[in-house]
Amino acid sequence: MGKGNGIDRRRLLTAGLAAGGAALAPRAVAGEGDPAILEVQDWTRYLGDGVQARPYGVPSEFEAHVVRRDVEWLTAATESSVNFTPIHELDGIITPNGLCFERHHAGIAEIDPADHRLMINGLVDQPLVFTMEDLKRLPRENRVYFLECAANSGMEWRGSQLNGAQYTHGMVHCVMYTGVPLRTILGEAGIKASGKWVLAEGADASVMTRSIPIEKAVDDCLVAFMMNGEALRPEQGYPLRLVVPGWEGNMWVKWLRRIEVGDLPWHQREETSKYTDLLPNGKARRFTWVMDVKSVITSPSPQMPISHGPGPLVISGLAWSGNGRITRVDVSLDGGRNWRRARIDGPSLPKALHRFYLDIDWDGRDLLLQSRAIDEDGFVQPSKEELRAVRGENSIYHNNGIQTWHVKPDGSSENVEVS
Amino acid sequence: MSKSRKSLLAAAAASLLALPAHAQGDPDNGAQVFKKCLACHAVGENAKHKVGPHLNDLFGRTAGGLGDYKYSNAMHEAGENGLVWEDETLHDYLADPRGAVKGTKMAFAGLKKEDELRDVVAYLRTFSSEDAAATGASPVSGQEPEPTPQSDAPDVAATEPAAAQAVAAAGGTATEPGVGLAYGLGRRATEDEVAAWDIDVRPDGMGLPDGSGTVGEGDMLFQEQCASCHGVFGEGAGRWPVLAGGQGTLTDERPEKTIGSFWPYLSTVFDYIRRAMPFGNAHSLTDDEVYALTAYLLYMNDVVADEEFELSKENFSEIELPNAANFIDDDRDSEPHYAAKADPCMRDCKDTPAEIVMRARILDVTPGSVDDDGAGAGAVD
Ligand code: HEC
Ligand code: HEC
Repeated sequence: MGKGNGIDRRRLLTAGLAAGGAALAPRAVAGEGDPAILEVQDWTRYLGDGVQARPYGVPSEFEAHVVRRDVEWLTAATESSVNFTPIHELDGIITPNGLCFERHHAGIAEIDPADHRLMINGLVDQPLVFTMEDLKRLPRENRVYFLECAANSGMEWRGSQLNGAQYTHGMVHCVMYTGVPLRTILGEAGIKASGKWVLAEGADASVMTRSIPIEKAVDDCLVAFMMNGEALRPEQGYPLRLVVPGWEGNMWVKWLRRIEVGDLPWHQREETSKYTDLLPNGKARRFTWVMDVKSVITSPSPQMPISHGPGPLVISGLAWSGNGRITRVDVSLDGGRNWRRARIDGPSLPKALHRFYLDIDWDGRDLLLQSRAIDEDGFVQPSKEELRAVRGENSIYHNNGIQTWHVKPDGSSENVEVS
Repeated sequence: MSKSRKSLLAAAAASLLALPAHAQGDPDNGAQVFKKCLACHAVGENAKHKVGPHLNDLFGRTAGGLGDYKYSNAMHEAGENGLVWEDETLHDYLADPRGAVKGTKMAFAGLKKEDELRDVVAYLRTFSSEDAAATGASPVSGQEPEPTPQSDAPDVAATEPAAAQAVAAAGGTATEPGVGLAYGLGRRATEDEVAAWDIDVRPDGMGLPDGSGTVGEGDMLFQEQCASCHGVFGEGAGRWPVLAGGQGTLTDERPEKTIGSFWPYLSTVFDYIRRAMPFGNAHSLTDDEVYALTAYLLYMNDVVADEEFELSKENFSEIELPNAANFIDDDRDSEPHYAAKADPCMRDCKDTPAEIVMRARILDVTPGSVDDDGAGAGAVD
C-alpha cells in the first residue's frame, strides 16, 4: 500500500529537478534514523484534496481490507445469503453503518420513502396507514442495541470450521437507533383486548414475516428510521425497520410495511422451517427468541495475528446478552483452566455490545485464548461441550459456546477446540 | 369528564395554595405521559378493556377489582391483601410494576421520572368520580389529600384521545386528516388496502382465500416454475432448498428438514409460496395455482397418496403434517449450564492442561484459505 506513494513521490521529484534544479528538491536531513522522519513526506509538502472532494466521506485507502465478507459455498444465491461484520478490525461498541453484516432473503429492496407505507391492521380499533412523514411526527427515542443473527456461529456446531472471528462471530452489529416506540404506533390504532400477538411484515420480495408476542411489542420494540444518526442503509431496511432488542435478528423485520395484531401466532416459514432448534431426540424448540449471553476475543484472532512479538499485548473482545447488561467477562490464556477478570471499557448498556480488554505481558509462548461472559440475570456463557451435551450438533441456531483461539509463538492464531 | 374535573379543581383550590409547586401533578402533562399506556389501556367516555383494564373510576378501586376483566392471580391477591388504588399505591405500581405487584401481567417497565408519575396519576384522577377521588387521596397513609390539578391548566378534554381525534378531523385542512387515537396521525386503511397486503394464513385456516388445485395441475406448474431450483421432485438442485423427502432423518447425524419431514403446518407452505415464490417473481401466482402447488408438494412428501387429490379452502385444515407434534417451547433456561447460575470456577478448573482436540485447518473452508474447496458444512438458516 505504501508503495504506490513512493513511486508517485519519485516521479514528482524528477519533475521538480527537471524544472528548477536543486532549489526545489525536498529538504532531507542526512543522518541516522527513520526515513519516515528524516525525509520530508509528500503529505507534509503538497496540498491534499480540498473540501467536497469526498462529499460523503469514506475510510482511508489503507483500510480497504476492512470490509464485510461472505462465505460463497454457504448459499445458492447472493440475494438469499449473508455476509459478516469484520469485528476483528473494529473497536469500541458501535459498528459503522457500512460494516454491519447483511442477511437478505430476496436481495436489497430499494424503496423511495415517498412510496413507503406502514399499515397497522387486525385486532385494532381502527386499521391505519402511516406515511414516513406521519411517523416522523411521533415522539422518538434513541437507543443502542446489538443485533445478532440466531445463526451466528451456527457453522461451528460440529467443531471448529472457519478461521476468523469475522466468520465465526461476525453476524452481529451494534448501532444507535432513532425511532418511534412500536407501542406509540399501536396506540394510534388501539389494540383490542383480544390482541395477544403481532405479525411484522417487510416490503421486500420475501415479504418477511415474524410473529411477536404483544408483551414484547409494547415493551421495548422500536420502529426505527435512523442508525448511528443517519438514515438506515438500504441493506438494513431503509426507510424503516423493526428493532426487537435482545431477540434474534430475523425478527428485526427490514423494510417494515405492516404490523398486524392477532390472537394467535401465525407460524410463518421463519418460525417453523427456520429458526427452530432441532434437538438430538428429534424434537425442535420453537420461539427461541432471546439471544443468549455470549462473547468472543476479536484480537488477537486468526485474521488479526500478533505482529509485534513478546511484551505488552492488548487482548480485546466483545460481549453481549439479550437479557440485558454484561456484568463481567473472564479471559483464560490456558484453554479454560485458569481465568482472570477482563476490564469492560466504554458504556455498558442493556442489550448492547460491551467491549472488554485484558492487557498482558506476553511471554511469546502458545496461548489458548478464551473469553466467558456473565450477564445481569446471572447467566454464564457455557462451553461448547456443555451446549452439545444437551442440544447435539444440529440446532444450527443459538450457538453461544466459548470460543478458543490457539495463538502460536509466531503470533498467528487458529480456531481450535480444547479438551 | 371536564365537569367533574372542574368541581375537583374548586374542591382542591384551598389546599393547592399551601403546597409547593413541585408536589402537584399536572393532568395535562399527564395526558402526554398516558400515551405510553394507550397501547394497553383506555380511559374516558366509553373506555373498554384492551390488553389492560379500563382505568375509569380507578381511585378508591380495589386492585384487580373489575369483575369483567381477567387479571393475573398476582393482582387479585394484591387486592385481597388490601391494595387500593390511590395516589401513593399508583405511584409505586407505575414506578415499578413488577416490583410493586410481583407477578403482575402488566408488561410495562415502569415510569422512571417522578414528575411523569405525579402527572399521570393526576391525569387518571380526572377520570374518577369525586367521592372516589377523595377516598383515593391517601386515606391509608393518613396524609393530607394530595393536590389536584393546577387551576390554570387548560381543559384536559383538549388532550383526550377522542377529542384529539375530533380536533384533527374538524380542523382538517389537510387532504387527509389523521385519525390516530393519541396523536391524530395516520389515516384509516381501506378494506381493499388491507386485503392487498394482509395475505397471511394461519394453521387454523384463517386467511385462506377461496380456491382449489389438484396434484396434476401442481406438477405441471412445479416443473415449469420451480423445478429449475428445487428439482423435479423437490429434491433440490445444487444448493437450492430441498422441499421433499427426509422423513425419519431428524435424529440422524445429517437430518434433512423438509415440508414432509419437519414442517409442522400446511398453512405455512401455502402462505410462503404465495408471499415469496417463485424466487425472483413473487406474487405472480393465482390462488388456485398456489393450492395446486401445495397439493403437489403434499404428494411429493407422501402426505397424500392420491394423484387425483384436489386441495381447496374447504379441505385444507383437515390435513396434518406428520411432524406437527414434535415442536416444544423454549426451555433453554432449564439446561444444566444455565439453571445453575453458579459463580464460575476461576482457578484450576481442569485437572490437566487443556489439549487441542480439533483445528479449523482440518476442514478449513475459510474463504481465501489455500484449501477452500467449497466443501464446508453448515447453513445460515
Ligand atoms: C403492555 C401493556 C400495558 C401498558 C403499556 C400499561 N399497562 Fe397497565 N396494565 C396492563 C395489564 C395487562 C394490567 C393487568 C395487570 C394484572 O392483572 O396483573 C394492567 C393493570 C394496570 C392497573 C391496575 C388496574 C386495576 O384495575 O387493578 C393500573 C392502574 C395500570 N395498569 C395503569 C397503567 C398506566 C398508568 C400505564 C402507563 C404509564 C400502564 N398501565 C401501562 C397492561 C399495560
Ligand atoms: C430461482 C430459484 C427458485 C425458484 C425458481 C423457486 N424457488 Fe423456492 N426457494 C428458493 C430459495 C433461494 C429459497 C430460500 C429463500 C430464503 O432464503 O428465504 C426458496 C424457498 C422455498 C420454500 C421454503 C423451503 C424451506 O425449507 O424453508 C418453498 C416451499 C419453495 N421455495 C417453493 C417454491 C415453489 C412452489 C416454486 C415455484 C412456484 C419455487 N419455490 C421456485 C429458490 C427458488
